[in-house]
Amino acid sequence: MSDATATPTFEPRIVGFLCNWCSYAGADKAGSAQTPYPPNVHVIRLMCSGRVEPEFILTAFREGADGVLVLACHPGDCHYKEGNYRAYARSQMVERLLTQFDIDARRYRFDFVSAGEGEKFVNVITEMVNTVRELGPVGRLDAVMAGAAEHKAGL
Amino acid sequence: MLTTGDGSMETTVGVYFCHCGGIITEKIDPALVRTAVLEFPHVAYFTEISLMCSEEGLGDLVRDINERRPDRVVIAACTPREHEKTFKRALAGTAVNPFLLQVVNIREQVAWVVDDPAAATRKAVAGIRSAVARVVHNLPLQKIEVPTRDETLVIGAGPAGMQAALNLAQSGRSVVLVEKHPMIGGMPVRYESVAPNMECGPCMLEPMMDQVLHGDAHDRIELLTMAEVTGVKGFLGNFEVTIRQQPRFVSEVNCIGCSMCVDACPARTPHPYNCGMNDKPAMAMPFLGALPNLPYLDMDACVRATGEDCTACRDACPIPDTVLLDDAARTIERTVGSVIVATGAGLFDAGRVPQLGHGAVPGVLSSIEFERMSSPSGPTAGKIAAPGDTEPQRVAIVHCVGSLDKEHCDYCSAVCCQVAFKFNHLVRHRFPEASITHFHRELVFPGKEAGRLLLHGLHQEKNSFVRYGRLADVRVVDQPNEREVQLRDGAQWTSAGRYDLVLLCPAMVPGDDTAALSALLDVTTDRWGFFEELHTRMSPTQSKAAGIYFAGTCHGPGDIPHAVSEGMAATAAILSSIVPGRMMELEPIRAEVIAERCSGCKICLSVCPYRAISFDEANGVAAINAVICQGCGTCVAACPAGVITGAHFTSEQVYAELRGILA
Ligand code: FES
Repeated sequence: MSDATATPTFEPRIVGFLCNWCSYAGADKAGSAQTPYPPNVHVIRLMCSGRVEPEFILTAFREGADGVLVLACHPGDCHYKEGNYRAYARSQMVERLLTQFDIDARRYRFDFVSAGEGEKFVNVITEMVNTVRELGPVGRLDAVMAGAAEHKAGL
Repeated sequence: MLTTGDGSMETTVGVYFCHCGGIITEKIDPALVRTAVLEFPHVAYFTEISLMCSEEGLGDLVRDINERRPDRVVIAACTPREHEKTFKRALAGTAVNPFLLQVVNIREQVAWVVDDPAAATRKAVAGIRSAVARVVHNLPLQKIEVPTRDETLVIGAGPAGMQAALNLAQSGRSVVLVEKHPMIGGMPVRYESVAPNMECGPCMLEPMMDQVLHGDAHDRIELLTMAEVTGVKGFLGNFEVTIRQQPRFVSEVNCIGCSMCVDACPARTPHPYNCGMNDKPAMAMPFLGALPNLPYLDMDACVRATGEDCTACRDACPIPDTVLLDDAARTIERTVGSVIVATGAGLFDAGRVPQLGHGAVPGVLSSIEFERMSSPSGPTAGKIAAPGDTEPQRVAIVHCVGSLDKEHCDYCSAVCCQVAFKFNHLVRHRFPEASITHFHRELVFPGKEAGRLLLHGLHQEKNSFVRYGRLADVRVVDQPNEREVQLRDGAQWTSAGRYDLVLLCPAMVPGDDTAALSALLDVTTDRWGFFEELHTRMSPTQSKAAGIYFAGTCHGPGDIPHAVSEGMAATAAILSSIVPGRMMELEPIRAEVIAERCSGCKICLSVCPYRAISFDEANGVAAINAVICQGCGTCVAACPAGVITGAHFTSEQVYAELRGILA
């Protein structure tokens, strides 16, 4: 399926899965610094990026998210030692999956944001919102879930 | 619960909105939020509180909940990282379980970062919608209470480990003290004298060793010599430890330390505690005065290893059943609540800088070799001699061998300058007319006592000091009956004197066992290979793993007072974190396997960062140890069958939150 044509008034809805220890704290840091950024990203806080199942990401798209972000602690900094490495590995796979489902891989972003990187958080959000705004709304993706269960077995 | 029109029961949610003293309402309009939120399914009411984290606000929250009796609670306020714990504690005063609460961050992630008030209000509403959708799927959870073990494993019986063992034992705790050598005392027990005050090493340590072996608290210290830790599993409060103890071939109970077996032993082997500078019998005391006062048999060196049936030691022993020639290694298992690693450091191998001649040029000794040579229990019974058994009249001492050197160790090893000046003192004492030359880079003598040692050495008439720039520009050349130190200037090597003895002071480096032990304990090492602290300044004795501590030079160079203090510091941390009779409370955010549906693929075992998952062979399923599990959820995400649940972050809960956002 192809992305609908972008309209100037389109406000994308983006879901961000953030780990509690670094990335969520980084988002809070941006808040404490009162740095404004677009309101389009809605955050789901998890204890660690290692908890993010590829299915979460696919479901988010199926439920109508126009973009999905997964933010983790920097390599070596994961509160649980290596959850972020797992998340990163899964993330590579998710990107391939999305392309198979005809979702532009730019709608998905995995990045590292530390507790101190309020500024980076703002940049990541802003870039993501701009990118997805340009891509326009995602189409309905009922095929996604059918494929998701199959692929999960491969993780 | 509310009875709905069709007679079914509906979960009710009370929504609380904090004004944050006007900070949140500056951007977000509570009246608009109220209108929207009251339309959501499950929402029974919407209450505004002006400052929820204040004592008054928390009182209002509890009173209101107790009056309206919702099943679940959503609080829209500041970041959960700030006050979720406060609100959870407040819920203890209500009938609502603290896990039936969802906090929406409308301050840090909405009011403070969204410019447009209308957009901010919309975002707050979406956040509350999502929290309400999720909270109805939340489950009541209880903190997990686990009994903790108050025994401690101490690895290494040098000054740091012994001090820790003593403090713990004196406070009534049981200690398993594991030492890989046949004797205790660590490195300084092998030194004739200890800087800066030139006390005799064994004499200084004797009272401490005596306390460990025979003191009032010694019966609470289980000392296992010739033993090494081979397995550790668990977490703060509960570690299962496996220890492998090598056979001593001598009964620790019966032996009276008379040494008659030693005298009878016909086999000879290089002496490991004298750096191989002389031989010792296969059955031997580690060195004269070593404690415990027991010989040990090096079976690799024993003639029995060649198949001969020698029983000379047993025949010579006056006490029956004391020499045990069929003794064997044993595996010992213990459960402890905490671990102190005090395994000490190693010495930089001077052979790695070949031009210094160590091991190739006679009369070039490393610090530990000279320590042993000057010790009455050493290879020459304390006689300091140059090659050919001559009296050394010209001695060179090379400082910073490997230290402060980008090519080797870029740190200062903290004690070698003092060691060098100690050697100066020992030589000067025996040979008052000797000329001594120090080849040094920096001279480091911190602290209130070391200064005297420095001044004493600096002002001796027959001492001279040569400062060199790079170790690569120093070399020792073998000359007939003497060794020449040469320094390089540009391409040119020039002589810096001829000497009878050249003493090298190598850097302190990570102990040989550090890497293997760090893997066993699942603790990290730093970029130099030492054990890595939680924080080098603020938590200097704590590892990154709860319940595992470091003391002494195993985590970086240091001196004896430093090691002793750290032994005490680690003990204090343990005494305050594990209190007998007090249960340890664990967050219930843990993973659990639904055993009936587990296919036994073991993928979860490979992803768990804590080794908290084991395989139940009998039932062919994975099992998660709730004490070790830290609740990261990595296994939950990895399970291909989806049969691991992550408490408080179940897939169902995450999907509900997701749908709430996108509704
Ligand atoms: S805790 Fe941040 S990625 Fe694991």
